[in-house]
Amino acid sequence: MKKTIMAAAACLTLLLGSNVRAEVNAQGAEAFVHKVTDEGVEDIINANISQKEKDARFEKLFNSALDLDFIGQFVLGRNWKTATPEQRKEFIKVYRALNIKSWSQRFDEFKGKDFDFHGTSPSTSANQVFVNTSVKMDSGEPAKVVWRVREKNGQFKIVDIIIENVSLAINARNEYSAFIKNNPGGINALIADLQAKLKNPVKK
Amino acid sequence: MNKLLSFFSALAFCGLVSGCALHGNTDHSVDTFEGYNRAMFKFNYQVDKYILRPVAEGYRAITNQPVRESIRGVLSNVREPLSSLNHLLQGDIKGSGISLSRFVVNTTLGLGGLFDVAEGWGLKKDTASFNQTLAKWCIKDGPYIVLPFIGPATARSTAGWLFEIALDPVYWATQHNGSLKDRASISYGIMQAVTLKETTMVVTDDLERNSVDYYTTMRSAYLQNQKKLKCFNDTTSETDNYDFDFGIDDEDEVYNDMEAQDE
Repeated sequence: MKKTIMAAAACLTLLLGSNVRAEVNAQGAEAFVHKVTDEGVEDIINANISQKEKDARFEKLFNSALDLDFIGQFVLGRNWKTATPEQRKEFIKVYRALNIKSWSQRFDEFKGKDFDFHGTSPSTSANQVFVNTSVKMDSGEPAKVVWRVREKNGQFKIVDIIIENVSLAINARNEYSAFIKNNPGGINALIADLQAKLKNPVKK
Repeated sequence: MNKLLSFFSALAFCGLVSGCALHGNTDHSVDTFEGYNRAMFKFNYQVDKYILRPVAEGYRAITNQPVRESIRGVLSNVREPLSSLNHLLQGDIKGSGISLSRFVVNTTLGLGGLFDVAEGWGLKKDTASFNQTLAKWCIKDGPYIVLPFIGPATARSTAGWLFEIALDPVYWATQHNGSLKDRASISYGIMQAVTLKETTMVVTDDLERNSVDYYTTMRSAYLQNQKKLKCFNDTTSETDNYDFDFGIDDEDEVYNDMEAQDE
């Protein structure tokens, strides 16, 4: 009987121990997203500075807030495994640059708008949590924006943004997988296509 | 003939043409009719480019935001009885009552929906569709299909849309006036299409600009959005729809390799 109780206690300790390891600081994650959105809206979008300065600030914020290495690896899907180290590096580089360019344009749409925070939701993935927000639109219902945040070594990074139920990481993964599947040039063709998009003039 | 006109009116109503439906299943690797779907997507894209978009841009040029909002209010008010019916079919009696009350209040005091008086009274808008009702009744969404002129759909959303056509409020409200009923239905449908295009143009342009495969982007977004429609006994949370496993175990090793190469 004593052995059984001790075994049960040991199991419980292990179980609790593993839960503690997987526990993510949800409040910290929410505060992190708060800080990122505040900084984005107040210090960049609404700030009375030159466009060049805005772009520079945005790039810095984007690189510090999003884990593009992590997301980039996911969006390349099974092709990541077959890619050469050079292809991986080149892909992450162009993927990062393209995201900075497109999000810098999108961010302007948030001018004069504030994010409302609605708490967090747990994730089944270790060290990750969803931060729920919404943005009031000029008309109609507010847009629902959910931020997937990952904590690593006490630091937070955004690894996905879900807008109105659409995960941007899933969207990119589906799109890139389809492109590689339908294109004889494979990953190199994808990289070339993304590079070409990067060169397209910014459309305001 | 009337039904046919009603059909075209609903085509225009749902509007869209490749671009507007940003809604979404998630086994994205399965696309049973991909060959047909891609061809139809191209066709819709051309219709959108040469017909709907220029009209929507013209509409935007000659109206301002408050006017467009009032027009959207009128169009949306007409649809409230359908929302009321769908809430009822989903067992949501309160929601049904709210939609019906909104219709009565906004049609009278709100001058046909030009002003959302009901919202100020705490009667919040909550649109319900037949697609949503069918999902609530546990009917699966079925294969993905691109409909001519309409755009992204599933078997279930197509069925829901056909119900909407059959019960088109504009058609039934004007059915005793022979000369008016068809014109009213068609005008209503066209206005729905144009306003929908006008409001979604910015988003779809952005998606297209940054996409390497626009067809897949639209399919993925549409199917993900469909996932939020759940069966009545489905207890999973909304988060489950996008709480996927990244499946990255050896990330540190990979990054270290990359960093080592940079040095």
